[in-house]
Amino acid sequence: MPTHSPFLRRLLAAAVAAGVLAASAQADVIAATNPSAIPAQAKARKDTIVGAISAPQGIFNPYLFSNGWDENVTEVIFGRLVGLDAQGKLRAEQAESWQVSKDGLQYTLKLRKGLKFSDGSPFTADDVAFTLTFLHDPAYDGGTDISLAKIKGGDAYKAGKASSVEGIKVLNPQTIQITVTEPGATTLQLIGGPVLSRAWYGRGYQPGKLDDLRQYSSKPLGAGPYIYDKFVPGQEVRFHANPYYFAGKPAVPNFIYRITSDATKLQLFQTGETDLEGFSINADNIEQLKALGFANLNIYNSSDYSLIEFNHNKPALKDVRVRQALTYALDRKKLVDVVYQGYGSVATLPLSPVSWAYDTKGVNPYNFDPAKAAALLDQAGWKLGSDGIREKGGQKLVVTLLATKSLFNDALIPIAKENFKRVGVELRPEVSDFNALLAKRKAGNFDLATFRTSGLNDPHDGVARFRSTENEVGYKNAQVDKLINAGNGTLDIGKRKAIYHQLYQVLANDAPLILLANRKLLYVNSSRIGNYQPDVFNGIFGSLPKLKIQY
Amino acid sequence: MRTYVLRRLLGAIPLLFGASLLIFLVFALTPGDFIDGNINLTPQRAAELKALYGLDRPLWARYLGWLSQLLHGDLGFSLQHQIPVSTLLGQYLWSSFLLALVSLLLYWTLSLAVGVLAAVRPYSWFDRVVTLLVFAAMSFPVFFLCLLLIKWFAVDLGWLPVGGMISIGSNATGWDYALDVARHMVLPVLTLVMLQAGGLTRYVRASMLDALAMDCVRTARAKGLPERVVILRHALRNALLPLIALLGFELPGLFAGAIVTEKIFNWPGVGHIHIDTLAARDYPVLMSFTLLLAVLTIVGNLLADVLSALADPRIRLR
Repeated sequence: MPTHSPFLRRLLAAAVAAGVLAASAQADVIAATNPSAIPAQAKARKDTIVGAISAPQGIFNPYLFSNGWDENVTEVIFGRLVGLDAQGKLRAEQAESWQVSKDGLQYTLKLRKGLKFSDGSPFTADDVAFTLTFLHDPAYDGGTDISLAKIKGGDAYKAGKASSVEGIKVLNPQTIQITVTEPGATTLQLIGGPVLSRAWYGRGYQPGKLDDLRQYSSKPLGAGPYIYDKFVPGQEVRFHANPYYFAGKPAVPNFIYRITSDATKLQLFQTGETDLEGFSINADNIEQLKALGFANLNIYNSSDYSLIEFNHNKPALKDVRVRQALTYALDRKKLVDVVYQGYGSVATLPLSPVSWAYDTKGVNPYNFDPAKAAALLDQAGWKLGSDGIREKGGQKLVVTLLATKSLFNDALIPIAKENFKRVGVELRPEVSDFNALLAKRKAGNFDLATFRTSGLNDPHDGVARFRSTENEVGYKNAQVDKLINAGNGTLDIGKRKAIYHQLYQVLANDAPLILLANRKLLYVNSSRIGNYQPDVFNGIFGSLPKLKIQY
Repeated sequence: MRTYVLRRLLGAIPLLFGASLLIFLVFALTPGDFIDGNINLTPQRAAELKALYGLDRPLWARYLGWLSQLLHGDLGFSLQHQIPVSTLLGQYLWSSFLLALVSLLLYWTLSLAVGVLAAVRPYSWFDRVVTLLVFAAMSFPVFFLCLLLIKWFAVDLGWLPVGGMISIGSNATGWDYALDVARHMVLPVLTLVMLQAGGLTRYVRASMLDALAMDCVRTARAKGLPERVVILRHALRNALLPLIALLGFELPGLFAGAIVTEKIFNWPGVGHIHIDTLAARDYPVLMSFTLLLAVLTIVGNLLADVLSALADPRIRLR
């Protein structure tokens, strides 16, 4: 999954393409009990696998799409130089190997031998250079923010002061060297993404003018496992196997992403119209799917977390005791039980339990404790008023909560309202759509805001929001900044693990937000499909090239 | 007659400008814009993107820019889909239109037939059964009706597909293609007909009852004309007059897309993208499509007025 392209990754987190999966060591598989129950319609499809997707829009360029479903389509067509394994560690794909200099400022990527795009044309370091230079185009309006990689000379090129990006150097057709000005643990994922062919995309491209390149969004050319055939808007996206794929031509000749929606995805799967599908996780769905007999249920931890953010610009919430009190006051266990019915857990770290950096030892879990919450509020000088609401200096402790309309919030709002009331805090929810929520949040017009992060590939992605340079709600803590920079400044997993463990403890004490829940995801495959081993970092892409049709 | 039409046409111009201003303001003043919805952008990148899309300009400049674009016949460029709005609408509009048109023809025919029959014998057992069925169909929630039909006909019986417009991976052309689409249309059309026929049947019945009580009908009967002629030629013609206005209102509906039905049956209609573009604040698509519906509403009204005037000379005199 393109880790660097953050645009609407939250949609991905909503997890719709069948196969954008979460994996963990504790992956839970409920195997099909009656594989012979495969519907005839599916059985008749000897050479095609049908996956499910929610709403692709037809922008099949890995750097220009605007929603996560188009991203899922581009993964199939393009592949990546550097990918992730099931634990989120870097994995060689189209790049055979890479070296990082000691100071973390120089990255040398070596491509596999004989690499070709799906039209048979050579795939060289020059194409990588073209891709990375294109991302620095001042007119580039896609979701990838290459400036986060801090490539040397990138700003000068963007400002029109240089004709090329100084830090991008093609050493030979198989090797490219990238020089950056700041080390970054996520830089390799950013520069090791999908590659655009210069011969195809660069034909009419003039720096500063994207129109020509944009027209190839409907005629994509990549080096991924499948070749794009056709997009039928509102219906499906079709592919056929790429004979030039670096790991060998996939065994199944055709792949189709069928567009499905929540209302009928079960019926489509049941009648055999789809082979792979993702479902909301709850007891009902699991029962119904198990009853089909031919469905393998894969239950995974997702890589995102839900949260309630504090507006640190509000005087009341600047006081760490108030923030801690509100965290203690909320019965998150009840929330998780109600919403996820056993398929989720209270979040303790700003990270998925899947990650290699997950370690809760010594981190305050903030178990539900209204008495402690009340004591903290007392200490902070908020005294109970006659109406049961706390006040201080004539000011009532009334907090607004921005939320979107969702099943999760349908449970969160009443629980939080009741819990807060109990400790003398009045909660006023404001429900709007996501876009309006973010706009109100940006305007600073709120006390609390709740939402879910996008899928997080690296521990850094989960904490970047706390860095004072990136925080939009006024949170500042010099020690946190230092630890985040340290964690992102090295690629050594052992060192990073220790740094993040310390960071999580500091963050927990400072309570910059209320962590709510880590959820699980439910992905299902028809038992006719073999070798399906999805994971949260690769989704369907991890096993797509190896899939086979067994029945 | 010509001055009547001309007067109505001129009157529509300020109406259109008013509609365009209203549409622009409604969407532009909704909190959040195309860039705000992206949770992952750094503030610097968000500012860069807003400038690239022109979202940092003042409201009046954005409105005038849009208006001048429209006057040049350009509907704009979708922020989200990165293709011209006209191309985008073209991809989805006609499937919505096909579905709506077929349903429209069916439920008008059905409603006229049933409504007239019910009015001819008011309070008979036929009329009572029709009334019961009509109210039953009308009071079904759409999504429930859709799911029920899918369960019966697609899952349990396996006669019809669950959703979509064509079979998966189908490369059919010509007649095979038409048949494939027709098969996929049966359930959504059935849903729409059931939902719409109810109200219309009641209209036809009421209008027909009024017509049957008219003096001219009594005169016709007194002349000794056969009942068939009385009903079809004298009463029905009069009953149709108020229905013409209703038909005019159907015009925007032909293109608006039946959002819930299309969504549940995975019909690749324009209803989907309307909702999606609202969530994403894709202004060019939102505004152009809403304006298109406004234009169609105005045109539909105009057509209804002209048709009424043609059918009923009394209107022309006013």
